[in-house]
Amino acid sequence: MSWETVIGLEVHAQLSTSTKLFSSASTKFGSEPNTQVDLVDLGLPGVLPVVNKDAFKKAITFGLAINADINQESTFDRKNYFYPDLPKGYQITQMTQPIVEGGSIEINVDGNIKTINITRAHLEEDAGKSIHDAYPDKSVIDLNRAGTPLLEIVSEPEISSAKEAVSYMKALHQLVTFLDVCDGDMSQGSLRCDANVSIRKVGDSELGTRTEIKNINSFKFIEKAINFEIKRQIKVLENGDKVIQETRLYDSLKDETRPMRSKEFANDYRYFPDPDLLPVIISDDEMDEIKDSFPELPNEKSKRYISELKIDENEAQIVSSSRELSIFFELAVDSESDPKLAANLLVGEIGSLLNKDNIKINESNLSSDNFNTLLKRISDGTISKKIAKTVLADIWDSGKDADEIIKNQGLVQIQDESIIQDVAQKILEANPDQVAAFKGGKDKLFGFFVGQVMKETQGKANPKSVNDILKKLLS
Amino acid sequence: MDNKTVETISYLARLKLDKDKKDKITKDLENIINFVDELQDINTDDVTPLANPLEKTAPKRKDFVNSKDRKEVFLENSPQSDQDYFIVPKVVE
Repeated sequence: MSWETVIGLEVHAQLSTSTKLFSSASTKFGSEPNTQVDLVDLGLPGVLPVVNKDAFKKAITFGLAINADINQESTFDRKNYFYPDLPKGYQITQMTQPIVEGGSIEINVDGNIKTINITRAHLEEDAGKSIHDAYPDKSVIDLNRAGTPLLEIVSEPEISSAKEAVSYMKALHQLVTFLDVCDGDMSQGSLRCDANVSIRKVGDSELGTRTEIKNINSFKFIEKAINFEIKRQIKVLENGDKVIQETRLYDSLKDETRPMRSKEFANDYRYFPDPDLLPVIISDDEMDEIKDSFPELPNEKSKRYISELKIDENEAQIVSSSRELSIFFELAVDSESDPKLAANLLVGEIGSLLNKDNIKINESNLSSDNFNTLLKRISDGTISKKIAKTVLADIWDSGKDADEIIKNQGLVQIQDESIIQDVAQKILEANPDQVAAFKGGKDKLFGFFVGQVMKETQGKANPKSVNDILKKLLS
Repeated sequence: MDNKTVETISYLARLKLDKDKKDKITKDLENIINFVDELQDINTDDVTPLANPLEKTAPKRKDFVNSKDRKEVFLENSPQSDQDYFIVPKVVE
């Protein structure tokens, strides 16, 4: 029997605002526990929530980017449930009138483009954090995260494999980071997803019973959790049993999903309009303001790099694919530094250093200013591209200024042709056999001579001069 | 309104009701529902649900931090805490 998979994803993106959705407490990650808590976050009686304008701006920016409808009037509802990390006893969310409805996202699966429609994206507040291992018989609560703005992005059930789910998540990740809507840091939980997975016989029009896998926080785990769940459900159905609608957790250590401890009663959240919050109206002027400050997206960036800066297509795509990298690139390039060279080094040398250390460019010792200096020193002939790699490696470790490294280590390129000529002459004299072989037709030996001259000058000879001089001497 | 519904609602609200209280509340709720029931006779097909009875819209706050760290006071006032956290009964999924 052949089965097909139907997946819908609910992605929670923590909005990169400075303050919470309804209070002016900071949302900074990693602070001392319970130091970023306001009376509103604590749910004390008598306090009133006030919406964060920037959270709306970010949600709308996302909506515009996916060609969705923006509800210029939206409202908030209460979702009622009890859990210790939710002090009010309800979560404020947008059930009936979400800020964003519709729209779509294109994903690329092995070169094939597929469009995934978006049902809605709504604003809601995050809960606090429960920690279970501090005491043997108690849990502890940190409310720093309570009230942090989330954009919950709900897809239509149009995803048909774990692989597609990962592509979708990657496309979303790129989009929200470029839009500066979310920092995209999955390890800190800034972007996490719940996957609704069901199985049906190929050709069936009705959906099978779904299970929901909660809080998956890496691309790898999305793929593994969904694949495990697909296999599990197929096995259940092929044994003649029924899939139970339930919430499951993915255990990455055991690579399996298992049911969360089920509650005696089914969830009944008793949504109702939050009487503390008036409808939020976004005026046409506010919409125009948001549209005017809409950031340039990867595709547009890539096209601009190719047409205006004459960057190679492949390199333009790589540089524009990450927000950090493109910002770094744009800061480093000016009228005196060569954009082609910059892109080339970013994709090549710097790319491999980043991969090796598994960091982002803004986490490295290389600043855009320092990279700009390095580029200028290559363009003005102070150092060769080869030496630039040595300087780069030094900056990578020490963070020192490029000019300082060049000066202190005596890396300035030898431009004086008479010096190069002397060295070349010596090399040829020291290797009579090779010279004879070269003259006898072994053209490849030219590289050997170049290498020797470079070695003798510690890589500082201007490569073009070396070539010209050797050609002359060997002719 | 029957006893079973009241039990469900009281569970969801985490309220423990004894038999007498349950009976009384069932009756009270019954009365309230009958009282508002006549609203059901009004045809609201073309009426947009009212989100808020005040004919006003929400003020929006600028996104800058304006809140003090009051951790000590908050923890002091909670039923149980240590120097960093609120302490609650064990809740593990």
